[in-house]
Amino acid sequence: MRKANLYYGDFHALKSIDIEIPAQKVTAFIGPSGCGKTTLLKCFNRMNDLVPECKLTGEFLIGGEDIYKSKDVTGLRKRVGMVFQKPNPFPMSIYDNVAYGPRVFGIKKRAQLDEIIERSLRQAAMWEELKDRLNRSALGLSGGQQQRLCIARALATQPGVLLMDEPTSALDPGSTAKIEELMSELKKVTTVVIVTHNMQQAARISDNTGFFLLGELVEYGQTEQIFSAPAKEETQRYISGRFG
Amino acid sequence: MKEKSVKEACGKVFFAVCAVLCIVAAAAIFLFIVIKSVPALQATGLGKFLLGQTWAPDANDVYGQPISGSYGILPMLTGTLTATVCALLVGGTLGFFTAVFLAYYCKGKIKTVFSSVINLLAGVPSVIFGFFGIKVLMPLFNVFSPNGNSSGLLLTSVILGMMIFPTVASLSKTALEAVPAAYYEGALALGATRDQAVFRTVVPAARSGVTAAMILGVGRALGETMAVVMVAGNSPQYPHGLFSSFRTLTANIVLEMGYAGEVQMGALFATGGVLLAFVAFTVILLSLVTSDKKNKGQRRKKRGEFLFGRRLCSAGKVFGVASALFALAFLCALIVYLLVMGLPHFSVGLLFGDYQYGQQVSIWPSVAATLMTVGISLVIALPLGICAAVFLSEYAGSKNPLVRIIRSAIDILSGVPSIVYGLFGAITFVKLLGGSYSIAAGSLTVSVMLLPTVIRATEESLRAVPMALREGALALGAGKLRTIFTVVLPSALPGIVAAAILSVGRVMSESAPFMFTMGSSLQPMPEGAMSGGTTLAVALYYLSGENLYTDEAFACACVLMLIVLALNVAAEAAGRALQKKFQGEKNASRRNKRAQSKSLLRRFSRAQEH
Repeated sequence: MRKANLYYGDFHALKSIDIEIPAQKVTAFIGPSGCGKTTLLKCFNRMNDLVPECKLTGEFLIGGEDIYKSKDVTGLRKRVGMVFQKPNPFPMSIYDNVAYGPRVFGIKKRAQLDEIIERSLRQAAMWEELKDRLNRSALGLSGGQQQRLCIARALATQPGVLLMDEPTSALDPGSTAKIEELMSELKKVTTVVIVTHNMQQAARISDNTGFFLLGELVEYGQTEQIFSAPAKEETQRYISGRFG
Repeated sequence: MKEKSVKEACGKVFFAVCAVLCIVAAAAIFLFIVIKSVPALQATGLGKFLLGQTWAPDANDVYGQPISGSYGILPMLTGTLTATVCALLVGGTLGFFTAVFLAYYCKGKIKTVFSSVINLLAGVPSVIFGFFGIKVLMPLFNVFSPNGNSSGLLLTSVILGMMIFPTVASLSKTALEAVPAAYYEGALALGATRDQAVFRTVVPAARSGVTAAMILGVGRALGETMAVVMVAGNSPQYPHGLFSSFRTLTANIVLEMGYAGEVQMGALFATGGVLLAFVAFTVILLSLVTSDKKNKGQRRKKRGEFLFGRRLCSAGKVFGVASALFALAFLCALIVYLLVMGLPHFSVGLLFGDYQYGQQVSIWPSVAATLMTVGISLVIALPLGICAAVFLSEYAGSKNPLVRIIRSAIDILSGVPSIVYGLFGAITFVKLLGGSYSIAAGSLTVSVMLLPTVIRATEESLRAVPMALREGALALGAGKLRTIFTVVLPSALPGIVAAAILSVGRVMSESAPFMFTMGSSLQPMPEGAMSGGTTLAVALYYLSGENLYTDEAFACACVLMLIVLALNVAAEAAGRALQKKFQGEKNASRRNKRAQSKSLLRRFSRAQEH
């Protein structure tokens, strides 16, 4: 991604962000609230299109293709999945939740859907616990299960990139641990970009880390390096918990 | 891909068209009423019409020739306004204090009970109010009346007051509950008693909302027709005293439409026009009140302090309890009385028999006609209303001028008195469908009337669907249309069901719009949508008007009442189901979290033992 600028009306939310995210790795964005992490994340699947008065300049390249040049937003969202801060399962059965994405892209055959659902649920490490109650309502699951279901739902379209916007901030420690475990598995099949407020989490799971402050990318590099020997003073102060 | 965007655009346009239909409907009502009344106003003169002292129409008057009747509506104008003011005194006061009681002095089950009482009262058909007035209140009031007949201003005001009571109460309650808890707590922290905190701090802060509730109450009182016709006495003169007979504008239309001559008809439409002007006025007033909240609240706060001393505040509380109990008693009395008087008269012949003129009265044809009307009007109003609501909630930005116009059109449509809908239906749908009264024409008329109800209820339930669900679907690559149809609408289903049930209740309890579109005398079984018919409510009006059929009237009122109450209870249940759908989700996760933290604790303690 190059020289990305984003404005909400008059507010300059992202300032000349220039970042390259490696494939098949976990990349974490950290930084204090309101620094633009989530905004940046939403640029990758054009969820910012929903916000009126949102303007964007610069290039966003995924696999060499500028995603804002093409008009096929839904195709993009098939390739770039997203998991939200709060679990948001649809009020329908577990099966229908996971099948939602594939159905959007025209897969109707039951056998094919069954296959996709088993694969996605296995990838989200919940096939064993859910296989007997696929027709139950997704709202009956626990918060952690719901969030993993949302991950499975996002995986069902076999995205090349999976965006996660603070996926564990609404969960208890137990569920968080499960999801973190899951992420290190996930990078075998997809590129994971995660926004988090939890620095330990970033340190535990990510390969690369970017630190944001007031809409600017302050520092970006390998996670170990950022956490052990940060180059910038702000980064040092933030990760040692002195502000933010 | 291109196909997709075309589809999306078509969808948006389709929803928008449905919403714009509201503007068309509102404009059409105004236009047709004005067109019909202009010649009459030319014949009589606007001044003489509005300020004329006598209403003595001559059915032989035709346009283009000198008229011999006089068409002055000033007495009725005065009558309408007086009755409205008096009704506001009764219903507004009761409603306001009940709202205070409900919002700040009761909790838990008691609150649920009283809230349902208010909702049920709101659903009681106006003919039933009128019927109750004739049968119960009138004999009661006759004792005090100098001439032994109490139909007139006092009786009308009491009945109208009870009719606007639920409107005022439930809207004021919402306004009072919307006041930030910090105001109340702040007042308590300064040493105010609970009563003072409520009446000195909360009530002034909710002033604009309460005023809005009163204005809506006034709107309802102005437009009420059937109940008023039954109890007002109806002679076209000024209301001289509490027991003098008078006539309102709405009553004027109902009473004379059936046999009006040409000029007279025009004058009646002009009467409808005056009512519309009142509606437009209340809608404007309402938007003014709700828009400049801040100024008013501040300016008046001081007066509030003068008004409510410590003792007065306590008195206010007592009054609140009393009015809530009164409402409960009124509803119970209404239901019990109708059951006691109606149930013994249920008979197979009455309920299911054939109607034979002069020999056997049966409400079976009315039941059939009611069902047909409900069916047809829902088939029309529900899809239109839901699509319009989808446009307003999913597509429309609040700043768009078109959206603003649509919203005010909906406000106007919901304020137009039902009798004016009747007039509108009589000159549009009845004419279109061949000129004779028919169930189809009545259904079309009432479906226009249902639009604002359906739209508002649906929009509310669409807004209750969490934004996160929409985002989730969009992030999976679903288009907007797909998101709406597969995620948003199914999630809002209970709310939409509640809207549908409320609409059924509305159709069942309305009578004024049907008088001149479907006919108003009892008829044999309708043969199809094109034949005339009477709904249960109209049948009740007809039966109660002739003293021959008192028993049948009671039975009919009983049936109508039971159905309407059942529908209201069902609508409430459906509404609650919607809330549960989204709250249940939260509770479930909370419960699970608790369980998980417990198991974590156990694991920790075990680890420590080792």
